[in-house]
Amino acid sequence: MKEYLAHPWLTIRVQLALGAIFVIAALPKIADPPSFAHMIYNYRLVPSSLINFSAMAMPWIEVLAGLALILGVWRAAARTIVGVLLAVFIIAISVNLGRDNAIDCGCFNVADRGKTHEQRIFDMKVDVLRDLGMLLMVGQLWYAAKREDDAPVERS
Amino acid sequence: MKSKPLFQTAAILVTAVVLALVTNAFASRDRKMALTGSYPNALRVPGEMPPSKSPALPSQAARGVAPAPPPAIPEPTGATTSQTIAGEAAGATLTAAPPTATSHTQSTATAAIETVGLNPAAKTPKAPAPTPPALTPATGEDPLKRFPTHPDKPFVEIAFSDVNALHTKKVLFLDARRASVYEQGHITGARTYSVWESDIDDKVRKLFDERSDPRDQALPIVIYCSGGDCEDSHMLAQKLWGIQFNNVYVYKDGYPDWQQHGAPVHTGATP
Repeated sequence: MKEYLAHPWLTIRVQLALGAIFVIAALPKIADPPSFAHMIYNYRLVPSSLINFSAMAMPWIEVLAGLALILGVWRAAARTIVGVLLAVFIIAISVNLGRDNAIDCGCFNVADRGKTHEQRIFDMKVDVLRDLGMLLMVGQLWYAAKREDDAPVERS
Repeated sequence: MKSKPLFQTAAILVTAVVLALVTNAFASRDRKMALTGSYPNALRVPGEMPPSKSPALPSQAARGVAPAPPPAIPEPTGATTSQTIAGEAAGATLTAAPPTATSHTQSTATAAIETVGLNPAAKTPKAPAPTPPALTPATGEDPLKRFPTHPDKPFVEIAFSDVNALHTKKVLFLDARRASVYEQGHITGARTYSVWESDIDDKVRKLFDERSDPRDQALPIVIYCSGGDCEDSHMLAQKLWGIQFNNVYVYKDGYPDWQQHGAPVHTGATP
């Protein structure tokens, strides 16, 4: 089982999928930073002075980390960043679920879609599950890298 | 390479910040943002805001009728903000006048509630439903007198009938939605004042220059956004209140409600 989990066939696909997801998710945010700032504001977790800067920088972090995963360069840094981002997203959405603050997550779309409170709460739960799934993918990458590092070096 | 994940992580983060700053510098007007924003209630959850008993007014003395100081666009205090939003969360359309207000402002605010009918609790069942436009003067009185200044609070929420009456009187309307949305359709005569775009403070300062006379600042201003849980109009109202505009009204149901009533709209970048 452990061999399957760390198999390069799986690892490369997980890496590509995660990278593509992050790049795709970042594009609407890069295209419209003010709307993304509005989304961040709705979370009510980021201080006023940091909202604009977060809205500007976070999408580019997502793009660069995603591209690194797709291209297979700086993988350790990329999976660390992606893992941290996912953890932040999960915590942020969960906190707002806990205080019944229904918001659009702003994950893949920054437009206000006019949902009802109930729809938003349901979507937030789905978002948490989706992000947990992606965090598992990061775990797979981390596990595969660890196995790779621990493997004895073969000399020809 | 493997031994430098920290360096690589830092490089990615720094590159992202540089790219963000560069793209923002070259962004179009409605995509550009100020590096630091000013958003009241950024850390306050609407449903959890306790009703404030004594909001701290930002420099009450400076908000008198003395000649206006240079506009610094201060960020309103959270206490006052929480008061108004708490009222909104509780379903009230007008927040109570704070105890710290002077007797003059208290009576003025009360008059606003009773005369304009902004507070559902203040409306009595025997009062007939206002016929649109609600403020058609039966006695020849200037309808604008029914919208007195309220320096003790940043804004008063009003509904369509009052908004329509003010629109008929050609008071200033500000659209707090994004400029791109504004161009798709807005209340005829409204100016675009999106709180999320970089030029908002410049626009507010320009408005202040236009109305530097305290008497002009007492003229009603109506702000709207998309209704529902949209707070952009409230944020803009607080910005204006922070520089002495003390007669600001928020159209609570916003543009969708205006459209539903078939009231005049205009498309494009001009008012």
